[in-house]
Amino acid sequence: MAILEASEIVKRFGPVTALSGAGLQVEPTTIHGLIGPNGSGKSTLLHVIAGRTLPDGGRVVLDGADITRAKPAQRARAGMSIKFQLARVYHEQTVADNLLLALQVRDGIPSLVLSRTRRRHQERVRRLLDDFGLTHVRDHPAGELAHGEQQWLEIAMAMATEPKLLLLDEPTGGMNRHERERTGELIRAAATTCAVVIVEHDLDFIRDLCDRITVLHQGTLVASGTPVEIERDERVAEVYLTRV
Amino acid sequence: MQRVLTPAWWLADGGRRVGAIALVAGIVIAGPLLDGAGESFWMMALTRALILGVLAVATNVAWGVTGIFTLGQAVFFGVGAYVVGLLATREDVVALESLAGAALGAGLLCGLVVGAFLFFGRRRVGMLYVGLVTLALSYALERLASVWGEIGAGNGITGIPLPTLLGTEIEPGISFFWVAVVTLLVVLGLAWAVMRSQFGMVMRAIRDDDERAEFLGYRRPIVQLVVFAATGGVGALAGGLYALEEGFVSPTFLGVSLSTQVLIYVLLGGRDSLVGPLVGVLLLEVGGQRVQEELPTEWPIIVGAVLLLVILFLPNGLTQLGRRRRRAAAPRPETAAEVSGGDPRGE
Repeated sequence: MAILEASEIVKRFGPVTALSGAGLQVEPTTIHGLIGPNGSGKSTLLHVIAGRTLPDGGRVVLDGADITRAKPAQRARAGMSIKFQLARVYHEQTVADNLLLALQVRDGIPSLVLSRTRRRHQERVRRLLDDFGLTHVRDHPAGELAHGEQQWLEIAMAMATEPKLLLLDEPTGGMNRHERERTGELIRAAATTCAVVIVEHDLDFIRDLCDRITVLHQGTLVASGTPVEIERDERVAEVYLTRV
Repeated sequence: MQRVLTPAWWLADGGRRVGAIALVAGIVIAGPLLDGAGESFWMMALTRALILGVLAVATNVAWGVTGIFTLGQAVFFGVGAYVVGLLATREDVVALESLAGAALGAGLLCGLVVGAFLFFGRRRVGMLYVGLVTLALSYALERLASVWGEIGAGNGITGIPLPTLLGTEIEPGISFFWVAVVTLLVVLGLAWAVMRSQFGMVMRAIRDDDERAEFLGYRRPIVQLVVFAATGGVGALAGGLYALEEGFVSPTFLGVSLSTQVLIYVLLGGRDSLVGPLVGVLLLEVGGQRVQEELPTEWPIIVGAVLLLVILFLPNGLTQLGRRRRRAAAPRPETAAEVSGGDPRGE
């Protein structure tokens, strides 16, 4: 059974129809790329799935539960996690505290007020720092991190909640080659425990990393399949050749 | 706890911790000294400032730490004052324990009701919206209290008797000063503990990026409601104490002027600083006492000018002086690529 099923999604912004019946089906522990030329609606579809914007039509189902109109916090608690296009970490809090924030999300307010769970989460903080190569900056304010490190910290925060589905909005934006490779490794590691959806402009990165790719154009689904199938698809070639 | 016992911990952050302790110790010593010197005027001014300090600390936790831009903190202060005034004059309740509990409870309840309206049922809650609603509420309640005959209309409630503590009457002067000091210390202690706790991290996370916090799974409305109600309760407690200390309640206790005044205390002293709001209160209410008396017309202009300078040059308030940004001893590598030996140019 698919972990995510977004079907017949319609989204209008005033007179502009950003999505007209687009959809996405993601299998567990797979990496699914969502691509398309600028204005194709891929970011809008990701935001509809994440709950950042509500659709005017269609349905979003996560692991069998209808979350079409659920609030972001409900979606997060249902097992969805997101890394935004521009890294959104807490600049004034330390790297370790950013991770602790993500880890303690299910703790009750009394426990948080009394700081009862800080020690319990320390081992997991340590492991996440290690996995994401951030141990050397654990006590630095997150705002002092380099661009790539902030992106990795946000992915680490998203993974700390042990999601069923991880949404990544342009995870390699502004990264150098080494950082892109490292990000790819981190995503592959994440996909051993959850499904990953990536919106990305870097087609080489998507082709090398993804198990399946969905292509959108002008708010509609053009094709969906393996990277090889997508490369051979004439409609996809046409979309990318005729883009403005 | 071990870290707290080391000199390095106390001297970290530009010595602000030591400064905070010195400030509190200075306040505690000032009361008996002023009393001994027969300076009852200054001691009463200090007592009033400490009670307003309780309100300012609560406002700072709501606004400075959690980002709830309330322009109506006086609503809670006024509610607490009226509840205490009515209980003391109509029901002959004089026990401070009961009056303080009633004020706290009324503030909590009021905070829960107003907070539920403010924070629930909306996907996004803009701080401008919160500011405008609380401002309107503060204005409306002040007007209502000014015409509501049952609660004294424009005259408010006068003749509030002196309270008792454990059966003993609290005399005006040094006795009330100690009540104010103990209340302030308890509130400061609680604020310190909460700000340092894991919940304090959540509060700051919601202040800095509430959407990010929601996408992590935090239920923003519940966190905001808890903070708003709790700080409302503390604000009401301050209002109740103020009514007992002054012996009267006025509709202005609910009004926009006091709400704005509290924000000025917080801005002047420093948002997200434990003792910053207290510094602001002491500077304006005690330090500026004589200037207020000598230049009553010019006083608001002076405060405005000082505030403008603080906002322009010390946006984090006066307690920013001496603040040192936390930095690790080791030099920061510029990029992750350098750390792991990769080529940062990507070539």
